[in-house]
Amino acid sequence: MDQDLETRKNKQYSRLFRRFIVLTMICSLVPLLLAGWAINIHYSRFAKERMMKTLETRVEYHKKIIELFLKENRAKLDFIVSTHSIVSLTKNDNLSQILKSVNSDSWTLTDIGIIDENGDHLAYVGPYDLIDKNYSNTLWFKEVMEKGSYTSDMFMGFRKEPHFVMAVIKKENKRRWILRATVNTDSFCSLVEDVRIGRTGEVYILNSQGIYQTSPGSGGKIMMQAPAFEGDIHDGLEFRFLEAFDKDEKTRKKIVCETWLKDPKWLLVVSVDEKELFVEVGHANRATLVSLHFSALMILVVTIFITRHMIFVIKKRDFEVEGMNNQLMEAGKLASIGELSAGVAHEINNPLAIIMTERQLLLDAEKRTAITDETLGEQFIDSLNQIGTQVLRCKHITRNLLKFARRTRSVIETVDINRFLIEVITLMEREARSDGIEFTSSLDDSLPPILSDPSQLQQVFLNFINNAIDAHKDKGHGMITLSTCLSTDNKGIDITVEDTGSGIKTKDIGKIFDPFFTTKSVGQGTGLGLSICYSIVKQLGGTIQIQSEMGKGTVFTLTFPFEPPGDLMKHG
Amino acid sequence: MIGSKILLVDDEEIFADNMAKLLQNRQYKVTAVYNGESAIKALEKENFDVIVLDLKMPGMNGIATLKKIKNLGLFTETLLLTGHGSVESAIEALRMGAYDFLAKPCEIDDLVEKIEGAWRKKDQAWKKDMEEKLKRVVESPSDAFKLFD
Repeated sequence: MDQDLETRKNKQYSRLFRRFIVLTMICSLVPLLLAGWAINIHYSRFAKERMMKTLETRVEYHKKIIELFLKENRAKLDFIVSTHSIVSLTKNDNLSQILKSVNSDSWTLTDIGIIDENGDHLAYVGPYDLIDKNYSNTLWFKEVMEKGSYTSDMFMGFRKEPHFVMAVIKKENKRRWILRATVNTDSFCSLVEDVRIGRTGEVYILNSQGIYQTSPGSGGKIMMQAPAFEGDIHDGLEFRFLEAFDKDEKTRKKIVCETWLKDPKWLLVVSVDEKELFVEVGHANRATLVSLHFSALMILVVTIFITRHMIFVIKKRDFEVEGMNNQLMEAGKLASIGELSAGVAHEINNPLAIIMTERQLLLDAEKRTAITDETLGEQFIDSLNQIGTQVLRCKHITRNLLKFARRTRSVIETVDINRFLIEVITLMEREARSDGIEFTSSLDDSLPPILSDPSQLQQVFLNFINNAIDAHKDKGHGMITLSTCLSTDNKGIDITVEDTGSGIKTKDIGKIFDPFFTTKSVGQGTGLGLSICYSIVKQLGGTIQIQSEMGKGTVFTLTFPFEPPGDLMKHG
Repeated sequence: MIGSKILLVDDEEIFADNMAKLLQNRQYKVTAVYNGESAIKALEKENFDVIVLDLKMPGMNGIATLKKIKNLGLFTETLLLTGHGSVESAIEALRMGAYDFLAKPCEIDDLVEKIEGAWRKKDQAWKKDMEEKLKRVVESPSDAFKLFD
């Protein structure tokens, strides 16, 4: 039955534990994770938008730089033609000086030349042998002659290298001359690629037919046709999201930002791996998720520990409360028994008193008028004597019952326990010796005195020693040892009464302090002695422990504090 | 002392009657009453040497009866009988002037011993009082009427 109760209790505690955990997870973990994920997603989206915005700004800015570069160089040419006469320009020295001046800050023009309206070079300064070339059939010549100024796309030309030119018309003396300069391809390409983002980023320029004007980096060369060129001319920036294969043939998502330059109509393309662009967002994302899940895990672990500890505390409290309830029940039982005992004792004493008077009247009558029949006379006296004996026995029982019921006020005095025990031993020695029992003692001389009630202590020890003597009844010889020492918590004194008697059965040990429980035969004990001792010891703030082994003996250890409980000190 | 007058007060009539018989067998003159009020009336009518008084009685209990007895200012000594065994009540009664107490049931010989002790105390007190009164009469004869009235 106890096992079932224990199992049921353990199941209840396990259920309570699980409920606490689930509740905590629902109330703390789930909101944490939801909030964390939501914030993370929102942050990621926000960060990506910011990154895209930044890319957009960079591309826009870069577009302006390229346009400025082209504009600047065209402006330089315009300035040259407006400030120099054709005569001056056709002199190679002057032209060479002009080229040097233009390239003084940075080498932006490869060469410069003057071409007449027939397409013939009148002057040329540069690294190529082009002075004899005629450009009348070239696209750029035709365009500049028509428009007045022109920036070409990349073309091979006479020099058989990809290059592009800027040309402006100079009108003088009703004739037209062209000032043409070749933009340094390397400088231009460097300028264009300056905005490249990360390892995977690409920046290049396409013309309106989709021909590479600068090298794209991965696959494709200048003057090659770009794949998947749509050619829609639009204002502003446009983003496209592509999937491309890298050199390892793995699919990669790319973000492509395109914007058309004004003049020439070139498309500036900036592309970057999506992963690379958002690499920091990815890191932050991962760090956040790791922290979030780690925090969740820590919360779970801590919750488990705290819940486990809480269940342990609850178990302990339940155990203490159960103990207290048991004690209260015991005390309540004892109090009820006490009250009952007092009532019964009083009610019984009066009839007993009447029986005694009737007995005495019969004895008086017998003295006045002797019974002639000897047998009857003897029986008469024997029976009256027996009545007297039994009435006194009843009186003894009722007196013990009343002692049990009575709450005697303790009178607190300083007691030297060792001296006290020696006095008790002296009182009991003779009786014990007659039963073949010897006393020994092992008393600690260094013990301080205690504050207690000597008469109640005497009652207790006399009772224990009497029980110890009775325990040897079947043996006829033995030893009773009394010893004293400091208690383990140093707050009182331990007194042991050890006998070599018959011992107490294990199943009886839990009951020996119950009122009316006795192992003695009928008429040998009321079963109240140890109950009274237990009440007295508890009242004085002490404890009793028992160890016993059948056939070997019993040890009672009584512990008394140096000072009794506070209320006893106040009222004792 | 043979012939001493005993007033027995106990609500248990059988006990009171039996005890009266036992004491009469031992040459005491015993009057048995069954409550405190009857005891006071009896004391007002005649003198008794020793009162044997039960503590627990319905109505006026032993302590209340003892108080009234003391108020009468008699030389009578009181022995208390207690079946309840309440030491506190007995101690209170002793403080109030009872001579001694006995727990029921008791042997008749124990009661007789205590009655004799109470009688001796009462007798000593009476004799002492008489001596003082006589001394005052000798010193001031005009006070004789007041003292012995």
